Amino acid sequence: MRLYKKEGSTIQIISFPSERVNKGDYLVIADSSTGKGIIVQVVEIQYANIPGFLEELLRSCNDDYSIQGEDVDPFEMSNHIRYIQDAHLLICKIRAVYSNKGPVFASSLLPSRSRAKIKKISTERLFAQKKPNIKYLANLGETTEKNQLEVDIRALDGSLNIITGKKGTGKSHISKLLTLSLVSQGAPVVILDLNSEYTGLGQDSDGKPNRFHKQIHILTPGHNLKVTLKQLKLGVMTSILVNALNLPGTSAREFRRIWRFLEQNGNLTMQDLGSAIKSWKCNQHVRDALFSRYYTILGSGLFTDDPMQAISLEDSLKKSRVGGAVVIDLRDTSTIDRLIVVEYVLGKIVELLSRWKLKAIFLFAEEAHLYLRETYWDDIVTRMRHFGVFTTFITNQPDTIRENIYRQADNLFLFNFTNEHDLETISRASKVDAETIKSIAHDLPLHHCVVLGNIVNDFPIVVKVRKLDVYAKGHTRLFFSSKTNFREVIQQ
Amino acid sequence: MVNAQLPITTPPKYNFPLPSMHAENLQLPKQFVELSLRSLKKLENTQQMSKRNSENSSLINENSKIDFPRLIRLKPNQTSTPVMAIDVSSIKIGETETGLLLAIRGAIIWKHANRYQYLRIGPFPFHIYEENKNLISSILRNHSQLAQFQDFTIPNSFYIQSRLTAIFERWIQTSINQITNNSLILFDGSLASGSFEHSLESITQMLRTARSNQNIILAFSKMTRLVFRGQRLTDLILKHPPPCLLKMANYFTNTRLTHFFGSVYVAKLSGANYAFRLDIDNAIPEIKAIEAVKKLLGNDLILQSYPETLRLAHIYSTFTAAEVLGIQRWISQEADLRIITKPNLRRLLFGRFGKGPEG
Repeated sequence: MRLYKKEGSTIQIISFPSERVNKGDYLVIADSSTGKGIIVQVVEIQYANIPGFLEELLRSCNDDYSIQGEDVDPFEMSNHIRYIQDAHLLICKIRAVYSNKGPVFASSLLPSRSRAKIKKISTERLFAQKKPNIKYLANLGETTEKNQLEVDIRALDGSLNIITGKKGTGKSHISKLLTLSLVSQGAPVVILDLNSEYTGLGQDSDGKPNRFHKQIHILTPGHNLKVTLKQLKLGVMTSILVNALNLPGTSAREFRRIWRFLEQNGNLTMQDLGSAIKSWKCNQHVRDALFSRYYTILGSGLFTDDPMQAISLEDSLKKSRVGGAVVIDLRDTSTIDRLIVVEYVLGKIVELLSRWKLKAIFLFAEEAHLYLRETYWDDIVTRMRHFGVFTTFITNQPDTIRENIYRQADNLFLFNFTNEHDLETISRASKVDAETIKSIAHDLPLHHCVVLGNIVNDFPIVVKVRKLDVYAKGHTRLFFSSKTNFREVIQQ
Repeated sequence: MVNAQLPITTPPKYNFPLPSMHAENLQLPKQFVELSLRSLKKLENTQQMSKRNSENSSLINENSKIDFPRLIRLKPNQTSTPVMAIDVSSIKIGETETGLLLAIRGAIIWKHANRYQYLRIGPFPFHIYEENKNLISSILRNHSQLAQFQDFTIPNSFYIQSRLTAIFERWIQTSINQITNNSLILFDGSLASGSFEHSLESITQMLRTARSNQNIILAFSKMTRLVFRGQRLTDLILKHPPPCLLKMANYFTNTRLTHFFGSVYVAKLSGANYAFRLDIDNAIPEIKAIEAVKKLLGNDLILQSYPETLRLAHIYSTFTAAEVLGIQRWISQEADLRIITKPNLRRLLFGRFGKGPEG
């Protein structure tokens, strides 16, 4: 490999066919004269612009009229000619400049073109300066040079993370991997599961309980996720009414009065709430507004007056304090009910965190735009983060996540995207330059992702996400699938 | 005799089309390969190279007694006849501290079943420096039968390029002539002897072989400075509808040093406004020569008045920039020779106005 050109933070390197370099690989350009070097990452591989190559192609073009023949090459020069013709141009981005003091994130060094030695550098050596604590290691999978990528899971602590990629590329898979890594390190995780994909986390691929079985708590609203009004704080209920059900301010004020009245009388039940609204002295419009919300809440199935049926989310979260995941299964929940449930869960989490009942929590939110109200986005990255809610957004529609979320994301797990618009959206992430994202993400194979951010010491790494021995749920139901026997399904 | 000295054993004759024409049927001139290898051995002492201006023998001959050109109209003859073309290219690969590096390659193109096929021979690298110049010259002299010329002197390094190229080209031409019959063989250039590159004996022998094998050699010159009454020969024909020939009778007279083996024609073979000088063996009857051109029209694609086989032969022998780089790599890795970049004095002295060759 030979150093060819440097423009800003971009380095161009000529490589020859015998030197196998892949997109995403790291190279070190060592200048022995200065004892310094540059660590670069290959973000694009092009054909080297060999002069006269067009003439070469035109001469040997392969069509119906192509000319066939034989070459007598007594000196075997054709190999050398092919070597030149197949030369590649590697477009690389400078990731760090290193010296005796270790790597520094800069791009100011200009190594000697004639003396610089270029060679590949493994991720192990890349991380050698900042070795992760063995206790907190999480294996994400295999790098392009077939080494295992082990990261310090603590990098997710206090972080805002985004997992994004095209449908079916493996987003949920890495999300499960991160969840189980956090759980095994004793971290509490809450998953807002839109398609029941995480409900098999406690089982192995055969459906048998795995080592996480007791740490995974699946809560389905209306079934095993029911609460009494007494378990609820007025603030959480008001949030549900105002934010999820758009209750106007005047009506909300009346509702607070009703709530306090019932609370004082010890009658805080759904039945009494309905009666109170009915008999409450107020404007008819306010009464109608309260009634319509009351029936929506009643219909959600989330609330019950029977303390035996009620399950405390608080208890489930407390169980997860030493490592566990609470999966809120939202699959069979209607849009409105979903908003109510999420409002309740988030309200409860903030309440527990603010009372220091919980230290911190890792929240995994799949396709959050389907259940997260507008104002929550800013709340999550600013206020809730300070309370200790560290969110990971998972989406296949990157434009549903706001630009400021990308800018503030600490870690990005990026799977394949081919759509230019999607890539443009993601390229706003501040952790890496737009060119790297656009070029690498565009060519990522299935189940491969590029990991960016603190978790990889700001060295973007392409990784083939390792397989998990968990029961895969949430498969798309297919009409032509031979595996699906509808009669059996109906009988079940 | 040139052909006798070239290490070619005559393979069994077979009629073209040549689907089975392979490299094994053409034995490489061993001396040529050995010469190439020997030339690449490193020198210990460097000596200053002497340069001589290349001598350019002019073929311009405006003879006031020559007959007025005769127009011959042509009609393509579709009778299936193999068409073959030969061309050789050489290129300066670079300079070393002691001399010059060259590469030579030849290409043979033939048309079979409406498809063109090729056989490429080379590249052959050469390192020409002061010490091996004499050796190369003596080998070339043996091959070229130059002993008959008393004014022969050792050529300068740069001039050797064209001589090596010509020797190699003549070897390919002779070999093809020997292994084919009833074919049209297209050459690039003229059928004249006199220069070092084209000796009388070698051309005589080659044409004799061609006649005995029922081959007809058609030599096309892209560049000609021949004029008739102040007008370029190739311009005379442009007003006539194609395909046609202009026969230039008695245009050349042989001298002690130069012998013309070909009847000279100006050929306009297709619609485009291009015309070329065409030499056809003057020992064959004119009717047969014209019939050969008609067969060429009927058997080969003619674009811009030039036969496609000959055009392809040129394209396939020519070196591209990538090939030059590949050869340079071979030279530095396999022959352990260091290619140096000498400063262009013209550029240094005259800047942007320093056009022309280096030095």
